[in-house]
Amino acid sequence: MFGSINTSMILAILPEIMLFILAGFVFVFDLVWDDSQRRNLGWISAGGFSLIIMISLMLGTPGSDSGLVWGGMLRHDWLGFAFKMLFLFGATITALFAMDVEDLGKKGEFYLLLIFSTLGMTLMASSSNLIMLYLSIEATSLPLYILAGFFKDDDKSTEAGFKYFLFGAMASAIMLYGFSLLYGFSGTTDLDAIAGVIKAGGMNPVLLVGTLLMILVGFGFKISAVPFHFWAPDVYEGAPTVVAGFLSTASKAAGFTVLIRVLLTSYAPASDTWMMVLAIISTLTMTLGNTLALAQKNIKRLLAYSSIAHAGYILIGVVAISELGITGSIFYIIVYLITNLAAFGIVSVVGRITGSDEISAYDGLSRRSPWLGLAMLVVFLSLAGMPPFGGFIVKVLVLASAVKAKLFWLAFVGILNSIIGLYYYLIVLKHVYLYRSENEQVEIPVTRPYAIGLIVLTIGIILLGVVISPWFNVSTIAAKVLF
Amino acid sequence: MTTELILFFSLALIAIITGLGLLISKNAIYAALYLVLNFFTIAIFYLLLGGAFIAMAQVSVYAGAIMVLFLFVIMILGAEKLGKSNTVAWQRPVAIILSIILLIEAGYVLFWRTAPVQAAQTLPDGFGGPASIGNVLLNNYLLPFEITSVLLLVAMIGAIVLTHKQKTDKEV
Repeated sequence: MFGSINTSMILAILPEIMLFILAGFVFVFDLVWDDSQRRNLGWISAGGFSLIIMISLMLGTPGSDSGLVWGGMLRHDWLGFAFKMLFLFGATITALFAMDVEDLGKKGEFYLLLIFSTLGMTLMASSSNLIMLYLSIEATSLPLYILAGFFKDDDKSTEAGFKYFLFGAMASAIMLYGFSLLYGFSGTTDLDAIAGVIKAGGMNPVLLVGTLLMILVGFGFKISAVPFHFWAPDVYEGAPTVVAGFLSTASKAAGFTVLIRVLLTSYAPASDTWMMVLAIISTLTMTLGNTLALAQKNIKRLLAYSSIAHAGYILIGVVAISELGITGSIFYIIVYLITNLAAFGIVSVVGRITGSDEISAYDGLSRRSPWLGLAMLVVFLSLAGMPPFGGFIVKVLVLASAVKAKLFWLAFVGILNSIIGLYYYLIVLKHVYLYRSENEQVEIPVTRPYAIGLIVLTIGIILLGVVISPWFNVSTIAAKVLF
Repeated sequence: MTTELILFFSLALIAIITGLGLLISKNAIYAALYLVLNFFTIAIFYLLLGGAFIAMAQVSVYAGAIMVLFLFVIMILGAEKLGKSNTVAWQRPVAIILSIILLIEAGYVLFWRTAPVQAAQTLPDGFGGPASIGNVLLNNYLLPFEITSVLLLVAMIGAIVLTHKQKTDKEV
């Protein structure tokens, strides 16, 4: 029981409160405005998200004590805070990219669901209780199911929404069963108290591994790790491109936050047990993602498999179980979010004009729109892990952490996979720069919201790779919370 | 003690009969009404165990609100008469095997477990009552409670978004 509400509690959920107010604004303006003005809801949402980031950075930064608030439901610490800002950034860009999408940019429901999903993610990042954790995961997923199936008249989108919903419901049911067993045998829903029970040997090792595996099903679904990745290619292909971008970045990042937090607090005393499981998942995820990406003809499916592979790289840092490893993982998630948002943004711009998501539609893109071609070059080289872009430095960090933890084989697998990845990323760039197409004279117009978003993201990718220290420091501060 | 036992067994009999009636009856309305009776008996079980709040919730939410919804749906769809159900060929043998396993498990627990069931810790006075539930819900679990409202709002918006039929230009 916490008695009355005080300032520190309000500050801990400042972003959430402001998100709720923003939702109210969108709600009202959607009602007041007519169809010609509703596109501006995108500006309101994007502006609101960035305003929330600024206000939170000014007022809501966590103190050094990183205490529990709201009766132990939330932990206001840097790990949660850094990720909250990241999700809000992802939502800003997604709102910008959505504005000019037909049948979607002028709908208040889209922005409303986007805001609620972001609200769920921000709570996921700081949950420190199983009940809160489960509710926030559901609050994140439910809007995303609807968003994936947003184009009701399009069979592929409907299929994507339905597939995502069925897979998600199944995964979260298994995860919830894991949570209930964990609660039943430890007698508490508090993540730290569970760690205490496990440390004291209060849980049967078989049960411990059982609950761990069940919970990993839920988290593995969120981060699309093998063998829970089957939904990703179909859903990314069918869902509206902006939604696919949001799914593959912010939603995945949110999955990683809870994975990192639960494994490194509750299951920290049993780290030997899950390390091996996670190392195997990481190897499979990288290898399967990269090899299947080789055969793809559709750019959204290619990006889906590439995003599966990246989940594998991020897991390397988690497996290392060290401050360096977690720092690397967090930094990787930041870079990955920015890079992949840009990738899906470009796909959305091109898809609007050409009406196709096949890789062959990208023939001669550099002649049709040189700036878009350049952005594509930066994004894909960063995904492939080329210096001087962000993707290079983070790969170095996670691989270094694996080497430092004496997991040489894992580092080796990671390097081999990077080489495979390089191949298919370069194939796409070959289409963009070397191939010619007959409609080279047809320009690809980039509207203002897309231009703003893509410029910010492209500069971000370069900055992340060149000016390393501020991002590295933030990741280190966030990782220190767990050790 | 004996009155409690008599009460328990007669209620258990009603619960089983209504449960069976629900499964066997060919008319969907009858099945739904059997379910209402079943919910009521279970609510009395909760009362016997001292859970006043959960008994009330059972009656008002399940026997009340949800069953009315069921009946409405059956009425609107006009699905009172259940058609011939099409079963998958392997369904019946699997169901029989699974129910035998369940029976064996229940029998094992009933007859072969010699150690008496340990009472869980004695519950404090007023545990599970409306006052204590309200206290917990609006103190420690205030935030999850509020997030549940967001979840329900999202579900509502989602249902409207996914089922709302777009007006074509002609209709406007």
